[in-house]
Amino acid sequence: MRVILRTKPRKKPFIPIEAEAIIPQNFLRKNDITVYEGNKERKLDEIFYITTEGPAVSPDQVEIVLSGETGRIKRVGEYMNAGRIVIEGDIGMHCGNFMSAGEIIIKGNADAWLGREMRGGIIRCEGNASHYCAAGYRGEKRGMRGGIVQVMGNAGDFTAEYLSGGEVTIHGDCGDLPGVEMRGGTLIIGGNCRRPCGNMTGGICMIFGKADAMLPTFRNTGSEEKEYGGHHHRMTMYRGDIANRGKGTLLVKIN
Amino acid sequence: MKIEDVVCTFCGCLCDDLVVEVDGRRVVSVENGCTLANEKFMGDHRLQSPIRRNGKGWEHISYDDAIRETAEILCDADRPILYGWSGTHGEAQSIGIHLAELLGALVDNTSTVCHGPSILAIQEVGHPGCTLGQVKNRADVVVYWGTNPIDAHPRHMSRYTTFADGFFLKEAFRDRRLIVVDVRKTESANIADEFITIEPGGDYAVLSALRAIVRGKREIIPPSVSGVSREQLFRVADLLLSAKFGAIFFGLGLTMSPGKYKNVRNAIELTEELSRHTKYTISPMRGHWNVYGSNEVFTWITGYPYAVDFARGIAFYNPGETTSVDVLRRKECDACLVVGSDPGAHFPKACAEHLARIPTIQIDPHTNATTHLSRIQIPVAVTGIDAEGTAYRMDGVPIRTRMLFKGEYPSDTEILERLYTLVKEAKGP
Repeated sequence: MRVILRTKPRKKPFIPIEAEAIIPQNFLRKNDITVYEGNKERKLDEIFYITTEGPAVSPDQVEIVLSGETGRIKRVGEYMNAGRIVIEGDIGMHCGNFMSAGEIIIKGNADAWLGREMRGGIIRCEGNASHYCAAGYRGEKRGMRGGIVQVMGNAGDFTAEYLSGGEVTIHGDCGDLPGVEMRGGTLIIGGNCRRPCGNMTGGICMIFGKADAMLPTFRNTGSEEKEYGGHHHRMTMYRGDIANRGKGTLLVKIN
Repeated sequence: MKIEDVVCTFCGCLCDDLVVEVDGRRVVSVENGCTLANEKFMGDHRLQSPIRRNGKGWEHISYDDAIRETAEILCDADRPILYGWSGTHGEAQSIGIHLAELLGALVDNTSTVCHGPSILAIQEVGHPGCTLGQVKNRADVVVYWGTNPIDAHPRHMSRYTTFADGFFLKEAFRDRRLIVVDVRKTESANIADEFITIEPGGDYAVLSALRAIVRGKREIIPPSVSGVSREQLFRVADLLLSAKFGAIFFGLGLTMSPGKYKNVRNAIELTEELSRHTKYTISPMRGHWNVYGSNEVFTWITGYPYAVDFARGIAFYNPGETTSVDVLRRKECDACLVVGSDPGAHFPKACAEHLARIPTIQIDPHTNATTHLSRIQIPVAVTGIDAEGTAYRMDGVPIRTRMLFKGEYPSDTEILERLYTLVKEAKGP
């Protein structure tokens, strides 16, 4: 089954829409789906033109396509456990929160907290991701725990904060403090970043660009060769963060 | 008439030893106050009555009309925001939060532009803090990191640290060691035993280095960390470890520089590391006189200290998403009520522009930068002068502020109660 949701023009287009109900399993049951526009609850057809094509007997046979002005729609794909969501443009905050299976494709940019505390599945963002990509909620001790996040463009600050499992790949640059407090999983940064992996206690971070303002509390333990983008690169290997008795591994390309 | 033990409602110190002379409805002199306190009590630039824009300029309107129109604006909004609260007393803050819940509004206080990151750090790793009385009586090493108390909290040093004799420190000025960390040499740095000049944005790295040194990992420290030499870092670490009781105070130099709450977290973790060897505490230098109170009141009613979104009827909190600067910058909200703050002076330009675009109502005794962005302003009494209420000092100690005379203005509480009643009637049972 394919469900196409195209946004309707809104009187106040900057007011965010909270749409955690937009997940494949909800469309299978055809329940009355509602979303919130500011402090007003709206039926789905008040916000979207809805087109449904074909049948489905399980959530993994459901594909949702979002198009139009989707950059202010938050929490799409939250707790998703099967199926596929394709977003033709940008998407708002918290896309793929806690998702455990399925696939989300974003053809534009993603706002902050993309794949927050994700457990499984795949998110692929073809544009840029904002701050806290694949991170955790405030005060949460574990961020993303499983699955794959791929960002083809750049990501903002605090990417993969508290990363505990899974694999996060940012093919472009990252902002400040990527992998801060990370304790497991793998973070791959294709471009440049600043102050990587502060306070890390575990996991592996690989930086194939330049790492600015490296923290003084990482111990150089030699070098290693790694493959990225079809090429082999010689990397300096660090262990840390010593300030936190950390046993994480940080690899930075030797330029 | 001279009134003793008056509480100053300017900064987070809430000094409670002022002597204020009052003549009818006028303050004529202030003793024991700093320059800031004198200006607060002696200032005489109150707005006389509620005002409203009429297309050509301002017109004076009645309190009834101002409150009724405010209620209508807030009820019509799909995403109203109620901002400020740190310049008013706890009783008014409490009504404000209930009003936000009734409206399905977002309610936020000035922590969003000051120590909000400190709270985020405390939520991650806790707060090894203490009262200022403990610091005064015990602390033999005091650190001011990213704060300049001589200018911003002028009596902090004389009441609690460098110049205040304590129970265990009979000659405080000689017995206490003072460390100041800042990006430039300030007035406070001039009297420090050790001044660390740090490169802007270098706090996180220096704190990490100090943590490693205190852990005994001196060998990994490079010759210079963010402009601070390895020798000075070792010297400072030794000074910190020599304390019987150490107190670290930090300001916006730490919370609002790159890294933000991670800087504060690192400072708290340094405090914990030092406490493995001796006794250390850490405290934020809060700015507004009742900003700590706004965090307390918000927390006990909603569970969260600031940036609380009631849009869906329940409290949701996520700084960066529900903080007023972010909401205004993204042009999300369609009405704003400002109480006891001046976002027009403190917020980035894009936020001020949006405040001017939407109906903004301000409840404040004085005209200020936000007046120029507002559609309506309602003047009120000044807490601590012609209104009274509860405030929280920067260390979390509640202090009752006093009314020095009965003035002609209603208090924040009275205005907000009337507003709440009107909104409740409009919303129905």
